[in-house]
Amino acid sequence: MRLLLLEDDALLGDGLRDYLCGEGHVVDWCRSLGDTQALRGEPYDALLIDWQLPDGSGLDWLRARRARGDSTPALMLTARDLLQQRIEGLDGGADDYLVKPFAPEELVARLRAIGRRMGGGGAALRHIGEVAVDLTAKTVRAGGQRVELTAREWAVLEALVLRAGRIVPKAELERLVMGFDAELASNALEVHVSALRRKLGRELIETVRGLGYRVEGS
Amino acid sequence: MTGRAAPSIRQRLATALVAWAMLWAMAVGAAVWLAATHEVDELLDDTLESSADLLAAIATRTDSSADAPLVTGQALERFAWQVVSADGRVLMRSPRAPTEPWLATARAGLSDDADWRLFGLALNGGDRMLYVAQTRTERREARMDVALGAVLAALAVGLLGYVWLGTRVRAELQPLQTLSDRLATLNFNATGADSLGPAARAELQPVHEALDALMARLAVRMANEQAFSAHAAHALRTPLAGIDAQLAVALREAPAPLAARLQRVREAAGRLQGVVAALLSLFRAGGTLQRGQVDLASLLARLPAAGLQIEVAPDALVYGDADLLAAAVANLLDNALRYGASQVRVATRGPSCLVISDNGPGVSAERRRQLQAALDSQAYEGQTGLGLMLADRVARSHGGSLHLPEVDEGFAVELTLAAAAAG
Repeated sequence: MRLLLLEDDALLGDGLRDYLCGEGHVVDWCRSLGDTQALRGEPYDALLIDWQLPDGSGLDWLRARRARGDSTPALMLTARDLLQQRIEGLDGGADDYLVKPFAPEELVARLRAIGRRMGGGGAALRHIGEVAVDLTAKTVRAGGQRVELTAREWAVLEALVLRAGRIVPKAELERLVMGFDAELASNALEVHVSALRRKLGRELIETVRGLGYRVEGS
Repeated sequence: MTGRAAPSIRQRLATALVAWAMLWAMAVGAAVWLAATHEVDELLDDTLESSADLLAAIATRTDSSADAPLVTGQALERFAWQVVSADGRVLMRSPRAPTEPWLATARAGLSDDADWRLFGLALNGGDRMLYVAQTRTERREARMDVALGAVLAALAVGLLGYVWLGTRVRAELQPLQTLSDRLATLNFNATGADSLGPAARAELQPVHEALDALMARLAVRMANEQAFSAHAAHALRTPLAGIDAQLAVALREAPAPLAARLQRVREAAGRLQGVVAALLSLFRAGGTLQRGQVDLASLLARLPAAGLQIEVAPDALVYGDADLLAAAVANLLDNALRYGASQVRVATRGPSCLVISDNGPGVSAERRRQLQAALDSQAYEGQTGLGLMLADRVARSHGGSLHLPEVDEGFAVELTLAAAAAG
């Protein structure tokens, strides 16, 4: 998943970014609201937001995003633990709320839960034709046989499965899979897509000419 | 507060009023007595004198040379007269007057006999004496009647004054009672308290103002403490989360021997998180509560309780602050685990009482008494651990207390969330 992490604390931000990257996520880490300006319009699978930031309120920032019609799942990461604050956070547009200190394992589990709610059903196991994708275990089976994927191949597949039934433009898919900073050869995405087709079958990922890629909803 | 009860203003004023009423009655009675007897004596003496003058005029024209004295006039009970010759014979007398002369030797003016008060008047240049007399009993009765009336009137005024002033004292002290009733139920928190407003009596105004100022200062202090605890929460929670995230990354990347060490560090950091959370809750236990219906089963489901088998009634509900209750229960569960219990039973006794009992080794009766005494007097230092102290602070912030009941097995804690109802 491509994640935007908005956290001013260096120790926590750095630790979380590395932990999440290690879990196969693509993370853009911003240490202030000002830093997010450069990432305006970038597609994300989820937003991880600290409430208190040096230049303002993370929740107000989220509210503004929601007001613009943005529905990217958001998770508040905050020291504000009072019932009233948790309610305020959820009512302000957050989909989930995690009180510091928390274990990164729990954050990752909550991201998986967000993923399950995206693109259908809420189930961790998605079936696209003969292919079964387990979002929790990060495994793929084609015709009952386990298929090994590289991290990038998995990232492309996950991004498409989370948006099953929807056309994902090539530029957006590149951003989702590689992140903002990653320098990508112009044909790198095509390489991963063709590798996935070779391993899982040609019909899994449909190319919509001039628009992007799509997998069928399960 | 213990110790001897302070003297009551009402009691003291009542005592002073009784003393005042008695003194008033005695002083007024004595003064009236003295004045009245003096005046009555003078009045009666004047009567004797004027009667003598009148009789003298009559007596000088009456023949009184007969051997037997002339007895004439009405037989009056309390009034009598005699005309006595120079040689001591009674020449004339009233029916009640004695046959013998009142005085052996002639004496003019006022004088006293055993039973009579006399007034003597010389007739015809001194050859006869006229005595007019009044019984002393009658004079005494007259004096007594006047004095008794005066004393009774004074007593009545004193008594009425006592009753009336007593009522006034009660009425004047009522604003004090009203003030203490208001203080007992005053709504007070960090955003301030309801102002007491203008006092019912001028003398109470400074008290109202002082109390309002005191509550305002307390509210500021409370607000500062809450602001501090919010800052402390942020300053402590974020680095703890950072430490955990960094350790999680390091654990994944570290070779096996180092990973074991890092795992131990991470567990210690986890315990530190628990302590910090408890301390922050403890700090907050003095603040404003967010009371509501709390479902114990779902509260327990959120708490870390590895290694403990927890039994709870499915629909056990209590009324209190969910966050503070979670902190108290989490620490009591941690205690149970630390002291060797494997099973914990969580039960309720009504919406304001929570009982947590375990199957651990428990404590001796003596130790239990010590712990209870420390909790009752809030002298936690060196006596109770953080868990019991936190649970007690949480109970107290709800208006309740922590009780350690005697149980057959293990250790039990009874957490009350409201003051015990009277009766």
